[in-house]
Amino acid sequence: MADILGVVFRRFASGTITSNVIFPSHLEGNTLVLGDVNTPFQSLPVSLRASIPGLKLESLKNAKFVYVKTLEELVEDVASLHELASEAASPPSLIIVDGLDLYLHGSRVGPLQDDLSPVAHVAALLHDTAAFLTQILQNRADGQGLCRVMVSFQSESEGSRDSEALAPELLLSVLDRYLQVRCTLEEVKGNGEAGLNKWQVYLSAMCPSRVEQWHMLLQAGGALEFSPVIEGERQILEQPDKCKKENKRYGDG
Amino acid sequence: LRFVFGSCALQALDLVDQRSVTCVSSPSGRKAFQVLGGSGRLYTLFTSCHYCPCPAFSFSVLRRNESLMCKHLLAACLSQTMGLCQQEQVSDQQMTHILSGQTEAST
Repeated sequence: MADILGVVFRRFASGTITSNVIFPSHLEGNTLVLGDVNTPFQSLPVSLRASIPGLKLESLKNAKFVYVKTLEELVEDVASLHELASEAASPPSLIIVDGLDLYLHGSRVGPLQDDLSPVAHVAALLHDTAAFLTQILQNRADGQGLCRVMVSFQSESEGSRDSEALAPELLLSVLDRYLQVRCTLEEVKGNGEAGLNKWQVYLSAMCPSRVEQWHMLLQAGGALEFSPVIEGERQILEQPDKCKKENKRYGDG
Repeated sequence: LRFVFGSCALQALDLVDQRSVTCVSSPSGRKAFQVLGGSGRLYTLFTSCHYCPCPAFSFSVLRRNESLMCKHLLAACLSQTMGLCQQEQVSDQQMTHILSGQTEAST
């Protein structure tokens, strides 16, 4: 997933939009997006609409949006994806789970509220499902094709921390076991500019170990701009102020 | 084995001897392992990564990071390597239930 994110960041880099950035052909395919039923996708991101005029959410024919209420429903939907192997339609090459933290908070019942098994189960299931679908895609495409997983997880929000909740880093450490790349977004406090939100973006891969840093600027209208952090500036950013942290984890199937 | 995996090595070998590991497969080609624990509970494991729903895995492996795997995972690895897994065919719908953790011990 680090290669896909790198393309996305360069695509929407500050300055002129580079329309000649092309996604590798092996990344084409169907996408399955699993999200919270209370926050369905209403429209495409502003930056994407600006770069492709006339593009609408309905135009994403290769993307299937599924809204689930509970962790159990999410797990069952992912567990059933192997049933697509026998169908003529191509299985998804990208599985996105949006807001995994919401499903985990809602699943804590009974005495074992500190059990890490639910988060490990869903992460391992996603990993195993992606591995299986990769085999299917490769069998159909003469050895090419890959199914990838993307999960978003908001680890902290002001004023809403449950005293009985598991520490976010503990949950993220479990996700680290099954998803190989972590993209961390940290909001920078005290920007000084009205209508602009600045974020630090850290893209870290486990194997081989590497870290890339980017600045992300969110403008009042919703447009996004990315710019890479140069080597000298990277040292200054070693201890950023942490206001709000959101993590995205990615794994290659 | 005992040096690397500690006390769960002997427990895992007991499970292997008892032929407690079953490789479950469905027409779609999806596979999973099911291990019958000493308490009679059936644990479902994945074939591509380490996960077990047992308390020992959750505590010793995930939370404390003290162990590489639990006895069920080790038993599945050993059984697979030694060719001692039982085989079982299920429907695709049954496989969905198994993977989602809805299936308990069978009699």
